Amino acid sequence: MWLYLLRRVLLIPPALLLISALVFAVVYLQPGNALQQYLEDPRFTEETKRLIERQYGLDQPPHIQYLMWLRGVVLGPLDFGQSIKFGRPVVSVLGEALGWTVFVALITIVFTWLIAIPLGIYTALNRYGPLSVVSNFVGYIGLAVPDFLVVLLLVAWVLSTGGTNVGGLFSPQFIDAPWGWAKFVNLMSHLWIPVVAIGLEGVAGLMRQMRSSMLDVLNQDYIRTARSKGLAARVVVYKHAVRNAINPMISLAGLQLPQLISSSIVVSIILNLPTIGPLLFDALIGKDQFLSMAVLMIAAFLLMVGNLLADMALAWADPRIRYD
Amino acid sequence: MTSGPVKTLSPLQLAWRRYRRSRVGVFSGYVLLVLYLVALFAGFLAPYSSVTQNSLNPYQPPQRVHWFRDGRLQRPFVYVMKQERDPVTFVRRFAEDTSQPQPVRFFVRGDSYGFLGLIPSNIHLFGVEGGSIYLFGTDKLGRCLFSRILIGAQVSLTVGIVAVIISFFLGILIGGISGYYGGRTDALIQRLIEILLSIPTLPILLALAIIIPPEWPAAWVFLGIVVVISLIRWASIARVVRGQVLSLRELDYVQAARALGATDLSVIFRHLLPNLTSFLIVTATLTIPSYIILETTLSFLGLGIKEPLSSWGYLLRDVREEGFGVLSLYPWLLIPGIFITVTVLAFNFFGDALRDAADVRS
Amino acid sequence: MRKHWCTITLLLLIGSLAMAQSKNVGDYSALGVQTGKSGGSITMALQSNPVSFFYYSAIDQPMQTIYQLAFDGLIEYNLRTYAIEPALAESWTLTNGGTVYTFKLRRGVKWHDGTEFTADDVIFTFNQVIFNPEARAGNVVTPTYGGKPVVFTKVDKYTVRATLAVPAPGFLTQMRTFILPKHKLLRWSVEGGATRAEINNAWPTSTDPKDVVGTGAFKLSSYTPSQRVVLTKNTDYWKKDSAGNDLPYLDQITFLIVSDPQAQVAQLLAGNLGYINASGAQFPDLKQREVSGAPIRVLRSLQLFGGPNSTRYIFFNFDAKDKDLAELFRLSDFRRAIQFAVNRERVVDAAYNGLAQTPGHGMFTGSTWYFNTVNQLGRFDLQAAGALLERIGVRGSSAGRTWKGKPLEFTLTYASDQSDYPAIAAILQNDLRQIGIKVNFQTVPFSQLLSTGTSGNFEVILGQFGDQPDPELRRPIWQPANTLYYWHQTTVKDGKPVFENFLPWEREIYNLWEQAGTTSSQTQRKALYDRWQSIIAREVMMIPLVKPESVAAHSNRYGNVLYNPMLIPGFNPVPLLFQR
Repeated sequence: MWLYLLRRVLLIPPALLLISALVFAVVYLQPGNALQQYLEDPRFTEETKRLIERQYGLDQPPHIQYLMWLRGVVLGPLDFGQSIKFGRPVVSVLGEALGWTVFVALITIVFTWLIAIPLGIYTALNRYGPLSVVSNFVGYIGLAVPDFLVVLLLVAWVLSTGGTNVGGLFSPQFIDAPWGWAKFVNLMSHLWIPVVAIGLEGVAGLMRQMRSSMLDVLNQDYIRTARSKGLAARVVVYKHAVRNAINPMISLAGLQLPQLISSSIVVSIILNLPTIGPLLFDALIGKDQFLSMAVLMIAAFLLMVGNLLADMALAWADPRIRYD
Repeated sequence: MTSGPVKTLSPLQLAWRRYRRSRVGVFSGYVLLVLYLVALFAGFLAPYSSVTQNSLNPYQPPQRVHWFRDGRLQRPFVYVMKQERDPVTFVRRFAEDTSQPQPVRFFVRGDSYGFLGLIPSNIHLFGVEGGSIYLFGTDKLGRCLFSRILIGAQVSLTVGIVAVIISFFLGILIGGISGYYGGRTDALIQRLIEILLSIPTLPILLALAIIIPPEWPAAWVFLGIVVVISLIRWASIARVVRGQVLSLRELDYVQAARALGATDLSVIFRHLLPNLTSFLIVTATLTIPSYIILETTLSFLGLGIKEPLSSWGYLLRDVREEGFGVLSLYPWLLIPGIFITVTVLAFNFFGDALRDAADVRS
Repeated sequence: MRKHWCTITLLLLIGSLAMAQSKNVGDYSALGVQTGKSGGSITMALQSNPVSFFYYSAIDQPMQTIYQLAFDGLIEYNLRTYAIEPALAESWTLTNGGTVYTFKLRRGVKWHDGTEFTADDVIFTFNQVIFNPEARAGNVVTPTYGGKPVVFTKVDKYTVRATLAVPAPGFLTQMRTFILPKHKLLRWSVEGGATRAEINNAWPTSTDPKDVVGTGAFKLSSYTPSQRVVLTKNTDYWKKDSAGNDLPYLDQITFLIVSDPQAQVAQLLAGNLGYINASGAQFPDLKQREVSGAPIRVLRSLQLFGGPNSTRYIFFNFDAKDKDLAELFRLSDFRRAIQFAVNRERVVDAAYNGLAQTPGHGMFTGSTWYFNTVNQLGRFDLQAAGALLERIGVRGSSAGRTWKGKPLEFTLTYASDQSDYPAIAAILQNDLRQIGIKVNFQTVPFSQLLSTGTSGNFEVILGQFGDQPDPELRRPIWQPANTLYYWHQTTVKDGKPVFENFLPWEREIYNLWEQAGTTSSQTQRKALYDRWQSIIAREVMMIPLVKPESVAAHSNRYGNVLYNPMLIPGFNPVPLLFQR
């Protein structure tokens, strides 16, 4: 088992190398030019453009550009190049956005678990109750409605009720204010739309998983034994069934984070949240190539780490699993 | 397998029976059937073409179809809507001009289109002569949203199917090869697939969609989008196919076919695939909706379909371009969202029912 | 009596030496400006973080906004007429046939840290920063005229001289660029021992805001990334209102970083923002709220400057890859025929919600340089368009037309991520189809629109160019063979004009620009630019579509709000803003 994990960890660097070459090709093929758009401003000339391109090595053939980039990342270390638009290192541009991205993703995970797990348990225990039918249906809807549509609907609803908390993270009076309960509440009052939009899909999936996992456990012999021993139904359910049913769910959490970051991209673009989503979108469209590369690489890295964590969690939760 | 006096059912018939038992599944199947028929006959069912503009009626709310006039039942009719702009606030106001009822007529002549995409025609199922009928209202340029949704269905509904065909072809081919040959080939392909699976889909999808050259005509862009989307999931399909092939290839009849000198490809496609049919059909049905969602998302972000084609995601894009403010002024612009939801829901229910039906254990 | 006057003059002189030489702003009552009261504060929105605090290192709207408030140039614009007025230069003379400018600097002006502003700062700003070829956004001043560099020299502590090789009328306009403090920036300059490229590293956003000192009405006081920028009143500011009261009126300006336009509207309605720039699409909603009693005012106006208000044009590629099309596009009558098919009224209604006006030909209609070309804009008349097409040999009917034996169709390039362009494109396609011309679309993101133009990879393009107060500043766009004259790129090769490829009328335009660029007489220049505008209007070089209006909204707590307080250097109405 430890050997297996070690092998997985050792595989990450070569995989990242291959991915980086792929990603570079994709990013290099993006049409357009990062600097051309500034030419309309009289302050910016053709000469300046050439100068900056030379400084960033954009005048070099693609394979040299890639190798230069790779050297920066390895020997820099972690120098992912300069953002052309922001005129400073990509890492410093990304830092803060990455923080918010992970924050939004974590909040969403908490939200999905808080809703999905109890609902999963409930629907497993009351398979034909009215709440089960409703929540199953809502689950289906959650899977069927694209994230961006959920955002549109929620925004339309908030605006029609006279609300104003759409877009952004804080009301102005809380910007720059020290952290406290009021500020947190204010943040949540802004974040609930993206959290619901991103999380709805997850809730549906997680609820189903929990339900089937719960049903599996309830059919196991030891639960029947516990029941026949005359233990109270409550105790059976909470002490034995839930604890065992939740084990396989843990591995899902590891997979969920990178997935949420991915889906937060679309929602953030629409709602202008300061996450890596809008950064990636603008970087791709404006051909800010090192910035887009860095975002794509980070997303790939997170996905790998997430997969690894999921495996580890599973191994920890269920020692019966064997790895060859 | 046994034949005798007792009437037996083939596995397909059994599956069909199990499918019939799922009411939601059957209903969803019909919904899908209707949607695809609508897309097929969109030109005929829509009263206008998707690009016909009406400069007098931008942002007109949906027109109501009336049945009664002066308390008496009549053939259905609509009222012309008068539009004016508030001189100070520039808000558009609409009112039904009740002095001029416009009867709804059937099989009227209007914009020309290709019936079934081939036969040129200009007969539309319904329409209003001398006036206009906008069941779902109009957009900024006075284009009929109802017609645009029906014609946009052609793109939205085909994207999923074509993309699934491409990604399944890739997945089956590569997964089949990997599982069939095993050994080094298998190991190499498996490592590659693992790496491909660890590229985050959505970001790379955005990047790939932007590569599609802007000078391409709309039909090519459509194909480009389909290909980009289908590149997303073939790897996971290849993985499953490989697993199945790996276990199947040891079976006697496969071994026999090989011994008789059948070529590798024919073994894969003639003997192994049929065993996977039900699995593939179910997976395809459940994959199509996620492809549809990807297409609508790309088009919504402005990276997908372009004029003169349109799709449901593209129609929703107006809301994004104009700002959320239009949601309160022109809420009917959200109608394409209903179609997306219904379609994806129907696919999911239908797919679930198929899966249950194919699963012998149930 | 005479002696008496002398005493007064002397006293005044002493007084002005002791204190700053202040400038009283003119009477803007025609703009609705009134005498305000001191005190109060306003909160406005910035779209994103500034990328730097050093103006000449990046083109960045948020930084520009901050600079508008914290820095000054040698000259500035009259807010009503756009005439050039003194700013940090208190007066200037033009000698030697219009080639030597001598600027008398305003005395007693202080940088925000108390250091006195002198000629050294001006010399430093031009010689060490702007003329540094590596400064990334430094081309505010053309460094050479007539092939020879402009030379800035210090005459004395309060006098600066600029010597040009040839008369250059655009030069004075360029003097509105921001003057920076030598004592704070020396170490990033070549004079201070740094390399040329290091100038771009000056004043990163991590700099202590107290070090970013200007001479402007407000001083930078704090910056929290992604959250806010705060500026406080410069009590030593050199400007006074027309009644002689100190400016600025406001004590503090706070910028919140709110990128989402919808969030900006929400914050204005919630009373958290005092002023926002809005779009035409937001106008009805906002105006309706104002009419129904919300405490806001919504402004719509025509403005010379600003991105969203750039004039929209249709350009035809005279060098289109399809030779037959290129030949057709070069025919003025063809372009005129297409202009007949442009329904401007509908474009204004559908694409701009009614909030756009008649455009000029390369000049803003409100500018003193504008030459009235309204009659050359034509009217929407599809029949006239068809008749004209027949006359030049594009035969056919509404079912289709042929040119050189082929069905006539062309590709229209536009930006798909803007709200107006797709609508304009669809309207054009619809109307042109009715005269038998098929239009295909090529869409690019807005950020690539200009580069698609300059790459020459288009047939017909919907583009936009910002207006500027002086035509000379737009010379790269409108002079044939210049860098942004992208619809006829064979007019230039290796930076040199290729006259044999010019169309007959282009040659005259080229000469007009050459002449106007080296004439210092305003009347002569006006006549030359008038001629230029009349030629391109006559030949329909491009089809001007519309000039969008600017929309803004502000809380009614504020007075003297002029549209967009922070658009371009030299146009700065913010000191007049006051809280009721």
